[in-house]
Amino acid sequence: MSDKEVTVFTHPTRRQALTLMMAAGSAGLFMPNILGKGEAQAAPPAKPTGKVIIGFSQEPTVFNPHMPHIEVDEGVSFSIFDPLFGIGPDGSFYPALAREVPSVENGGISADGLTWKIKLRDGVKWHDGKPFTAEDVKFTLELLVDPNFRSWRKTGHEHVRELTVVSPTEITWKMAVAFAPYASILAATFIVPKHAFDGVADKNTAPFNNAPIGTGAFRWGNRVAGDHIELEANADYFGDGPYLERVIYKYIPDLTVLYTQFKTGDIDVIGLQYITPDHYDEAKSLDGKKVNVVPMATVESFSFNMEKPQFKDPAVRKALYAAIDKQTIIDALYYGLPTPTESYMPQQSFYYNPDLPKHEYNMETAEKLLDDAGWELGSDGIRAKDGVKLSFTNSTTAGNHIREQVQQYLQQSFKELGIEMKISNLPPAVMWGDYWMMSQFDSVVVGINFLTGADPDTSDYMKSTSSAAKGGAGQNTWQYANPTVDKLLEEGGTIFVPEERKKIYFKIQETVRNDLPLLPLFQYAIVRGHKAGVDGVEPNINVRIDSWNVASWYWAS
Amino acid sequence: MSAVASPIAVERIHWWQSRTLRRFMRHRLALIGLAMIVILTFACVCGPWLLPYDELYIDIRARFASPMTGAHIFGTDPLGRDIAARLFMAGRISLLVGFFAMLLSTAIGTVIGITAGYYGGRLGAALMRFVDAFLSFPSIFLLLVLAAFIKPSPFMITVIIAVTSWMEIARIVEAEIRSLRERDFVMAARMLGLRDTKIMFRELLPNAIGPIIVAATLTVARAILLEAYVSFLGYGIQPPLPSWGNMLNGAQQYLDRAPWLAIVPGVAITLAVTSFNFIGDGLRDALDARSDID
Amino acid sequence: MFHYLLGRLWQSLVLLVIVSMIGFAVLNLAPGGPLSQYALTPGMTQEALNRLAEQMGLNRPLPVQYADWLWHLVQGDWGRSYRDNQPVLDVIGRHLFATLLLMGTSTLISILVGTWIGIKGAVKRYSVFDYAATVGAMVALSIPTFWFGLVAIYVFSLWLKWLPAGNMYTIGDGSFGDYAIHLIMPSLVLAFVNVAVWGRYMRTATLDVINQDFVRTARAKGLPERTVMMKHVVGNALLPMITLAGVQLPSILGGALVTETVFTWPGMGRLFLDSLGYNDYPVVMGLLMFSAMLVLAGNLIADLLVAFVDPRIRLG
Repeated sequence: MSDKEVTVFTHPTRRQALTLMMAAGSAGLFMPNILGKGEAQAAPPAKPTGKVIIGFSQEPTVFNPHMPHIEVDEGVSFSIFDPLFGIGPDGSFYPALAREVPSVENGGISADGLTWKIKLRDGVKWHDGKPFTAEDVKFTLELLVDPNFRSWRKTGHEHVRELTVVSPTEITWKMAVAFAPYASILAATFIVPKHAFDGVADKNTAPFNNAPIGTGAFRWGNRVAGDHIELEANADYFGDGPYLERVIYKYIPDLTVLYTQFKTGDIDVIGLQYITPDHYDEAKSLDGKKVNVVPMATVESFSFNMEKPQFKDPAVRKALYAAIDKQTIIDALYYGLPTPTESYMPQQSFYYNPDLPKHEYNMETAEKLLDDAGWELGSDGIRAKDGVKLSFTNSTTAGNHIREQVQQYLQQSFKELGIEMKISNLPPAVMWGDYWMMSQFDSVVVGINFLTGADPDTSDYMKSTSSAAKGGAGQNTWQYANPTVDKLLEEGGTIFVPEERKKIYFKIQETVRNDLPLLPLFQYAIVRGHKAGVDGVEPNINVRIDSWNVASWYWAS
Repeated sequence: MSAVASPIAVERIHWWQSRTLRRFMRHRLALIGLAMIVILTFACVCGPWLLPYDELYIDIRARFASPMTGAHIFGTDPLGRDIAARLFMAGRISLLVGFFAMLLSTAIGTVIGITAGYYGGRLGAALMRFVDAFLSFPSIFLLLVLAAFIKPSPFMITVIIAVTSWMEIARIVEAEIRSLRERDFVMAARMLGLRDTKIMFRELLPNAIGPIIVAATLTVARAILLEAYVSFLGYGIQPPLPSWGNMLNGAQQYLDRAPWLAIVPGVAITLAVTSFNFIGDGLRDALDARSDID
Repeated sequence: MFHYLLGRLWQSLVLLVIVSMIGFAVLNLAPGGPLSQYALTPGMTQEALNRLAEQMGLNRPLPVQYADWLWHLVQGDWGRSYRDNQPVLDVIGRHLFATLLLMGTSTLISILVGTWIGIKGAVKRYSVFDYAATVGAMVALSIPTFWFGLVAIYVFSLWLKWLPAGNMYTIGDGSFGDYAIHLIMPSLVLAFVNVAVWGRYMRTATLDVINQDFVRTARAKGLPERTVMMKHVVGNALLPMITLAGVQLPSILGGALVTETVFTWPGMGRLFLDSLGYNDYPVVMGLLMFSAMLVLAGNLIADLLVAFVDPRIRLG
């Protein structure tokens, strides 16, 4: 597998060294644990030793990776299951259950992107000892579109046609349309065993769902609901590792307690939602702990409902943007951890456009913008134009303390401009229900990861036909509608060469930055931590959870 | 009787002495409670005018100032707002929520209790089963379920608290009215042809007013506590509007570095609730007919 | 007796139906739904949410959903959690132990201490002790439990570093001593309020008994004061406490909710809050029904017990 092959599907890696390692991957030895291990470290133990306790602030409860779930559930899935190929921290794919990452060059994908052929690893066993075959892959892809199964995502899979098992180690299918993001979707699709569902009438309540069987480095141990989940080393794992005898996912519902337990050493690795920003300074200086700030793909934004009359005027959106003191918010309220950004695209992405106009906090600019656009101060101190008052509500999830502080800070700045912002926060179940999905809000503060894996396609969020409030099927809750963006997104989804795709997504980011349906505030950064003795912990911005490579973790002796 | 007169006599003296003591002390507690409530109310009404800070004014540079820093008597919060200013504004809201929740729940409880007690029979039984049904939920459960789905504003929180705390009063009123309804004066009123509502509210209700006042006072205490619980769990009154409960909401996170965030509003809640309980207790003794007989 | 029991059971059944209707209506009429938690998942679409709603039967008319739920409940099927797809009874069952452990310990402490304080207060009526106990009880009843918990964590965990700040046990330990040390703070904080309740009731009950004829008679017979107290007074004063225990049962669950939150105790209170947060209606309904049943059963058992131990009361 040459350098070029890797790039066909994803995008070229920027770190040459890593790319060379990718080449080694084609020999079938390549596993995630090799990634990112730049510096020399103690060698892993010969046989699985010790245990690692990972603390999560939410409880993993869904163990069938294809049913609706939240981030922490994926943490467990990564330990138990494998995808055909996964995605590394630099955005390149590495083979897992597939012998190689399919590409046009190696014949895995036809030049038009419509025919796929995957060669599978031989001799892989499920945790219950049964052999893994192409039938399992076929079953998984069919399960995802089974109308009787509560599949959490059909996107991409619904284009798959003519699934054919050629041999136990080879499977082929055709795509109804050329769909470039499908590789990224497959990289997040864990393969589940067909035999676990044999004779099961209702796949939604299969015993498998609470005692999963996978091919991964760890097998299901036991679960104490409301408390923890224990996994055991899979001695028959086909890759390198595991090096730990046991992995425990501990549920600690309170962030302060989560941190305290990390401090006292009760947990070895602090997982989602990590160390709160206000504890970063203290955490840094803890003895025997490694603490670092890691960027996340999530972008925090002040988002508008573009159909509200207050926000139809671009001058208002621009003025509000100018009135936001981003730096103070980041420095004081978030302790300087996140990175200011101008794009919805994470800055680590190959498709990130670094040349967007820079935001400038300037109250005079804001005032001038509003004055010039004809928004005049009323007797009540609130600006208005053509009978539309510059007054709106802003919502977010009630109970998110720092974000509530940001809102109150913005409220004060906007007030100085003669803009009335009323805070109206809602319980999560209400906030992210119809209120959000059907665009019933005025404005919200929200953090969204717009990407699936590393793929830059954001059609579901930005196409004018994706607004549920207008009968669309996606999540364009801004009701953003720009024909140029529509066209570009259409085009970008069918191009398989990264360098060419890049131009299109640069243009999209430029247009969105200019239209400002959302005011990009910053890209999240989180404070992660683990005991100094745990080796192999590696952040990966392309997955949602930190235990993605737990197979390669070990205790340095 | 005379055979055992001596030990009783000893006790009687003891009783008499202690009884005076007790009444004195009881009333003193109630007086202390009353005084504290007056002071608290006064502070909440006038305090914000006397302090140099606005409860909403954000000064990020002054965040987490500890108590007695400059003019910040109780320190500042994570946005640099003056806690004393917020405490008093919060007090206005918490006390008002407590007071109006009491009024509303007393009204609901009285109407249901008086109807059930006066008419009795099937209607009465049905109403009292309804009361029982509400009592079978732990009220905090019901309160949270309601608060989780209703947009939290001070008005809604008041309503929600009232809706989950009227049952006690309904029971008390029902029992009182039931025992009164066969009395002569009611019979007389009926014979005179007075309308039922008139008998219920003009003739019967005044006779039950004592227990209602006691229960109502205790309901204020309860309502303040409930507001604090719900706001602490994040389902109550939303910022920037301060309430004693939501001032505590974020406090746990900063417990190690800014404990005053938790201590100041907590003390205020405890003071207010204790005071109302003292008053209620004092009222109970004062209004309890039996305490004069035995 | 039989008729009485039958009547009570019938009443309880009617009550449960009313309770379930109120609960179901409140949960389901509210905006938002169990699927909203998935809205921010990358790539989630309205189409997928609609499909899931249909598969889970969430788009049916409310009365149909209720009838369906009730019909299954009657057959002993409490439904399945939306979160982990487990039967609701299993989910509740798995959180039961933690709550029982915490509640049991704290109730035991509060009964023992409360009874002692109550009796002592009644015997030495109007003494400094009695007075302090009365005022103390009033204050205890006025302190928000969660705040008291916070202060306790601040003092004993953060400042003095004597006790763990939360959790039921240390992973990998879980020995008796480990459980015990985790149990100290939450159970004492919770007991603090309940001691007040028990103490006050016990005091009243003891006073009622002390002044009754048979106690005077016993004293007149020249029995030692200690025997009179232990045999005649305390025994009889405990009787009304049985009723109180029955009535207290539900408030114990409510108290657990707040305490479990502050001390991250993996019990039913925590489950309730989590389920509420995720709109896991089946579990929330299950917990509401469960606690309502507990209340009704508690009341019934208390009444029966009192009738059983006290020959003066006849049910019928």
